[in-house]
Amino acid sequence: MDDPLIRLEGVGRTFRSGEIEVHALRQADLQIDEGDYLSIVGPSGSGKSTLLNVIALLDRHTSGTYRFEGTDVTELSDGARTGLRAHRIGFVFQSFHLLAHRTVTENVILSMLYNSVRPKERKARAMEALERVKMSHRADFLPVRLSGGERQRVAIARAIATDPAILICDEPTGNLDSASTESILALFGRLRRDGLTLLVVTHDQTVSSHADRTVSMHDGFLTEGAAA
Amino acid sequence: MTDRMRARLRPRDLLAESLAGLFTRPGRSLLTALGAVLGIASLVATLGIAETAGNQIITAFDELAATSVVVTTDQGFFGNAPQATLPWDSEERLTRLNGVTAAGTMGSVPIGGLLTRSVPIKDPLGLTEFQIPMIAASPGLYPAARGSLATGRWYDRGHSDRADRVAVLGTGAAQRLNITRVDQQPVVFVGDHSFVVLGILDEVERQPELLNALIVPEGTARDLYDYRSPDTIQIDTEVGAASLISDQAPIAVAPDDPSTVRVQAPSEPDDVRAGVEQDVNAMFLILGGVSLLVGAIGIANVTLVSVLERVGEIGLRRALGASRRHIAYQFLLESTGVGLFGGAIGASTGVLVVVGVSALRTWTPVLDPRIPLAAPLLGALTGLLAGLYPAIRASLMEPVDSLRGAA
Ligand SMILES: Nc1ncnc2c1ncn2[C@@H]1O[C@H](COP(=O)(O)OP(=O)(O)OP(=O)(O)O)[C@@H](O)[C@H]1O
Ligand SMILES: [Mg+2]
Repeated sequence: MDDPLIRLEGVGRTFRSGEIEVHALRQADLQIDEGDYLSIVGPSGSGKSTLLNVIALLDRHTSGTYRFEGTDVTELSDGARTGLRAHRIGFVFQSFHLLAHRTVTENVILSMLYNSVRPKERKARAMEALERVKMSHRADFLPVRLSGGERQRVAIARAIATDPAILICDEPTGNLDSASTESILALFGRLRRDGLTLLVVTHDQTVSSHADRTVSMHDGFLTEGAAA
Repeated sequence: MTDRMRARLRPRDLLAESLAGLFTRPGRSLLTALGAVLGIASLVATLGIAETAGNQIITAFDELAATSVVVTTDQGFFGNAPQATLPWDSEERLTRLNGVTAAGTMGSVPIGGLLTRSVPIKDPLGLTEFQIPMIAASPGLYPAARGSLATGRWYDRGHSDRADRVAVLGTGAAQRLNITRVDQQPVVFVGDHSFVVLGILDEVERQPELLNALIVPEGTARDLYDYRSPDTIQIDTEVGAASLISDQAPIAVAPDDPSTVRVQAPSEPDDVRAGVEQDVNAMFLILGGVSLLVGAIGIANVTLVSVLERVGEIGLRRALGASRRHIAYQFLLESTGVGLFGGAIGASTGVLVVVGVSALRTWTPVLDPRIPLAAPLLGALTGLLAGLYPAIRASLMEPVDSLRGAA
């Protein structure tokens, strides 16, 4: 496949609430190739989450074209976008979003309910993912008994268990102390070496410095490089 | 887009997720189900009690009505033909028929407004004189009307043949005349004639006008007054013989022209049953329906609360690849599960209530077996409908909004 994994051309996202229009994302051009490790930095309210949600197909852009693995997703139905999320995209949130009443393993398995992973394989794949994030020793714990860093590693295991084309993380270390942040960064490094494509939004200079490439956002505008 | 790339959710996984949702907060799920329990229980109980009570009325009613045939000379609205007469020996003619257990003739005696009193002296103020109807009846009327005496005895054929001045008082008439005992052979006076009271009629199951009357033998009535013929024959039949007897009776009493007499036969028992049950059921059904509606509102409410509480979970699932439909199904299945559970418990409770009430009343509990089987389904349907709005609300949430809402 010659197409890049992700290509944005003049992508914008405008929020409308009554008379007021918010241009959260303006004319963004961005290409992400397979195996990239890209970080997005920028001040609060600059549109980082907006961009990430558009890329993760959680939100629809209002202008421009967005191709995912060569497919123009602008025209895709809600069902088809959902299918892409289930099979091709892993998402990690700042606030983990683990289900409190499910064990670590059950939380990881949750991501395999909505795609083609066969029920018999789920347990093994969940264990394998937990192995990769070094959390297999906590497989039967409930999330309340885990530290923040451990919870985020479980959330990452849940995202990679479906074998996605890209792992998209919105402030994955935003709620973590520096030691936990270190462990997450080490994990990203390993995943990157295994060939996973990574897209990470962060406030944290140390986090962005680990990435191969950094883009900055300011007032909805995207610029290559870690601008001031 | 290949089909393999579609978001999917296996029915088993959907079921497991919904059950997990219910068991996450078992206390709340139970409380939610309580509404459906109460609704279904009252529905099943009211239906069962209605059916049981209806059945009870029918058994009491059936037996009495299905064995009664009444022959009259009444010609109805179109009766401009000369008044037919019933023969004096109708009682003998009818008791000869197979299936007749008792028969008796009766008729109102024209006493021309004479007053009845229990003492010989004429009271100038007339305070102890009463207008009491006189009915002439054959001896067989007593068993045919299923009478029972408070005291004394009924007259026999001998009294009638000799035109003896004897009488039986209906309980209402006896009260007005202040006669409670017959062992002293009390006498009542009608105009100038006196009658020895042989007995007091306590109750009749048929021909209730007897209870307020002075009842005399037919021979006596003919001798003293212008009593030409009985106008009514009451027949008591064996169970199941009534319709046959109602065909045969007119021929037996009026062989020349059976059409001159009118026969009142019991209505078909099934019609009666259906009629009574419908009346009782309609009322109880409304009651049960209202309780079920209240239960449904409860389920809808709690499901909606649960949807709003789990906005974050909804967003997460959408991000993981759940479609709007998957989200809707999950919440629908949860509310349906609550309804089904409530319906099952409610059905059992309802059946227990029916059995309990029947035991207290020494009735035979009767319940259409389809009711306890259909009740859980009705509960499930209630849950399904109640979950419709919350499920749609959940499915319409945008993944981004729900993820932000929970953060
Ligand atoms: N649904 C919405 N409706 C209206 N405005 C919105 C909506 N979502 C985001 N915005 C606005 O768009 C702008 C960009 O928001 P976004 O969440 O992308 O910022 P961010 O860079 O992720 O900030 P932070 O670092 O604080 O997370 C903000 O001004 C925000 O108020
Ligand atoms: Mg953000």
